[in-house]
Amino acid sequence: MPNLTMPKNEMPPGALVLLILRVLRSGPLHGYAIAQRIHALSADALRVEEGSLYPALQKILLKGWVTASWGVSETNRKVRFYKLTRDGMKQLEAELSDYDRQTKAIQAVLRTA
Amino acid sequence: MRELLRRIHYLLNRRRMDEELAEEMEFHREMAAKNEGKPLGDSLRLREDSREAWGWTWIDRLLQDLRFAFRGMRTSPGFTVSAVLVLAIGIGATVAAFASFNMTVLRPLPLTDPHRLLRFQRQGPGQFWSDVPYPAVSFYRDHTRTLSAVLALTTASLRYEDEENAPRTYFVTGNFFAQLGAAAAAGRLFTEADEAPVTAPMVVLGHGFWASRFGASPGVVGARVRLNGKTATVVGVAAREFSGLGSDTPAFWALITQHPHFVHGSEILSDFSGQKNSGVSMWGRLAEGATPLAAEAELASLAATLRQQRPDDVWEGERLPSSPGGYPQSVGSVSRGSGPPPGVEERLYPMFVLVGSLVLLILAVSCGNLGSLLLARGAARQREIGLRVAIGASTARLIRQLFTESVLALMGALSGLLVGFAVVKAMLVLTEAPPWFDPTPDWRVVTFATLMGFFSAMFFGLMPAVHIARQRTRMTFTRRFLIGAQVASSCVLLIVAGLLVRAFDRVASSDPGFEYEQTIVVDPSLVEHGYDASRGRAYLDDLESRLRGIAGVASVTRTSTPPLGGARITASLEIEGRRHDIYVHQVDAGYLGTMKIPLLRGRNLAPGDESGVVVSESLARKRWPHQDPLGQLFLIGDPKALTVVGIAANARSLALQDPDAMKVYRLAREGDLPGMSVVLRTSGAPKTLLAAVGAAAKGIDPTVTPQIHLLKDRFEQRIREVEQGAFAVGALGIIALIVASLGIVGLVSYAVAQRTKEIGIRMAIGAEPRHILKSLASQFQSTVAFGLLAGVAGAAGLAQLLRRELYGLSTFDPLSYIAAVSLFVFVTGLAALIPARRALRVDPLVALRCD
Repeated sequence: MPNLTMPKNEMPPGALVLLILRVLRSGPLHGYAIAQRIHALSADALRVEEGSLYPALQKILLKGWVTASWGVSETNRKVRFYKLTRDGMKQLEAELSDYDRQTKAIQAVLRTA
Repeated sequence: MRELLRRIHYLLNRRRMDEELAEEMEFHREMAAKNEGKPLGDSLRLREDSREAWGWTWIDRLLQDLRFAFRGMRTSPGFTVSAVLVLAIGIGATVAAFASFNMTVLRPLPLTDPHRLLRFQRQGPGQFWSDVPYPAVSFYRDHTRTLSAVLALTTASLRYEDEENAPRTYFVTGNFFAQLGAAAAAGRLFTEADEAPVTAPMVVLGHGFWASRFGASPGVVGARVRLNGKTATVVGVAAREFSGLGSDTPAFWALITQHPHFVHGSEILSDFSGQKNSGVSMWGRLAEGATPLAAEAELASLAATLRQQRPDDVWEGERLPSSPGGYPQSVGSVSRGSGPPPGVEERLYPMFVLVGSLVLLILAVSCGNLGSLLLARGAARQREIGLRVAIGASTARLIRQLFTESVLALMGALSGLLVGFAVVKAMLVLTEAPPWFDPTPDWRVVTFATLMGFFSAMFFGLMPAVHIARQRTRMTFTRRFLIGAQVASSCVLLIVAGLLVRAFDRVASSDPGFEYEQTIVVDPSLVEHGYDASRGRAYLDDLESRLRGIAGVASVTRTSTPPLGGARITASLEIEGRRHDIYVHQVDAGYLGTMKIPLLRGRNLAPGDESGVVVSESLARKRWPHQDPLGQLFLIGDPKALTVVGIAANARSLALQDPDAMKVYRLAREGDLPGMSVVLRTSGAPKTLLAAVGAAAKGIDPTVTPQIHLLKDRFEQRIREVEQGAFAVGALGIIALIVASLGIVGLVSYAVAQRTKEIGIRMAIGAEPRHILKSLASQFQSTVAFGLLAGVAGAAGLAQLLRRELYGLSTFDPLSYIAAVSLFVFVTGLAALIPARRALRVDPLVALRCD
């Protein structure tokens, strides 16, 4: 069943994909680190729950925007690292410019209306 | 695309992927717990959500539902078996119909590359011939580039040794066997080299003839046989699997180039005009890269070239339209006429629609039946469904689960496939079909059966599933619809069956409009013996005078189209924008008198009256509804218009089933003579004269052995065919009636079970049995009434299609309708009484305590 009411600090799935791709641009990260990074960069405003992070990651994997490989975490545990692919890079750029255009348009409306 | 590959990769490595995901998420949880002290959630649920991204969860759910469905079936085997049986009948009927259609129409003959074979016929403005003169065929063969080979065939009945009955011989070109990929069962087959003029006369045996006459002995190769008194060497035997290009295979195959050897006076090889009915059927094999359109264009231009050499024999603007050649068709029968050639499809179409509708009706009855059963069962499962909803199953999930239980339909489709196969196989055996008809289901039939299973699942499974899942189990629209559909479909089947039975009764008892009981037909097939017009005239005159000399012969006449025979000449006539086929009878002046067809108005044809024509009453009524038909000019086939001199009563001599068949009778022309048969009427029992007639006919030309038969035998043969048709449809109707009755029993017993408490209360406060019955009946009254109405309307529609097959019966024949409806009401009412009686035995005390 799709959950219609969005919990606090959650975000729409599309935005989550954009954020994941963006934080992966600076280098491969594992799932927990992705969540942490988004949380920290948003000044604790955005919280990524595992219930939405892992489905999103699986979807991105299927799309071929990231690849996953097993590595060892800072705590010395086996963990999967996600790395942006060339396709993912293209997707990120496309989504960023889309996002820019949309926010500009929305702001324009908000300012003038 | 790559995404799909990745998805499939995930599906194949599902277990490993799942483990990896679990491990990864475990790490996440540990970290989160350490850093944030978060409580652990339901990890299984979270993992399921992630897995959903792979897009394969439906498989898991499907397997789950299937497992559940099969468990359910095992626990109620009675229901499962009866459901599969009902479906097997319904789907089996449609599969059998489709498989026959597939086998005879869709599936090509077992030949080499049958799709590249084309049949060519002649077509000019205003006329067509199904045959092509052999010299023209040779011309096309020598000049074509779009066809890699040109094949020709013509047929004849040649006397074998000194036997009475002349078996069929097919004359073919030398390349015939090689082009079609035929194998020899013994010896060898013809080659193109055999067409050389120096070759000694030779024949190839058909497999059936070889088996029945020579005991399938290979020693027959090299033996000599006599056909029409001419010897020929048997060079080989065609394989059993070889179908040739027709729907049957002959006793002998011979070379067209040797036609004059066997058939005295044959000019088939040189006659360019085709006027002596000496054309051949022509096929071509498309060359590599050529299309049928290119071949047609090339042949049209070749015909134009040929016309410059033979302006009298090739028509202006002559074309040779092609049709697929690698399919069963009737060969050897020559049809010529004005206008475009009649399409086989056109004539078969109503038949297909009729059979198709009937089997679909059976399927509808089965599905309606099963749907009601499922619904009733669903009502019994109310508690289970309620429980599922209570623990959080969504409606969509429930519908999916219940619909999955219609996996029954797949089992039904499978058994339907078997039933269909068995039916077709039995039909092939019963009708003694050629051995190369292969009833094994091919991909088309399997696909069809699967689709039928799927559609019936939609019909009987989905609607009840939706209703059960929504927990509406009262007398809803769906239930009414399912019952109504059942009633309507069975009703249509019964009415149509009734109409056919009545039609049979009528055709058997009514007067066909011509004398058939004391008539003998003598068919010398002079064309096949190379007769031209003058020899034909001499033969016929001689034959007629000999026959007249026999004591007991009352009257003798000649016709190109003997009654109830295979030959018919049609012309098309446009009346008020619709094309009608008109039967043309080429006769002599005595025909109407001999056949006892009454002349209603005007005068009969007089000898030598080549510009007069007698029309049938049906034609007169249709063509000149407000005018006097006598004296009207009438253009039919001939270049010159004919004057209507008389009107004859309708006679169903060519189309026994069609009382409105439109006919014209005109005198035979000189060129028609070799194609004519002699018909004679006797004053006493005709059977006693058969021997005398045979002796008289044989004495004229020893090479000609006329076929002689009693018209009465043919008439009875036709009636048997009608009887079989009526019987088949009647059987379908009875099956539908039984299935529908079973359904009604189920429904009423369910209604009684559901209302036990209510009935108990009513009885306790003094209701009488008839009140109870009445209230039970009222539940179904309107639905059944609507179903009956819809059935009557449907039957009336279908009967329109049957119009021409109905042997002169009104499509609104009230007796058939009333009888069918009353039979249905009576039988189902009786069926309903069985469970209803249980309601009357309800003990109020027990009933009130029951749940």
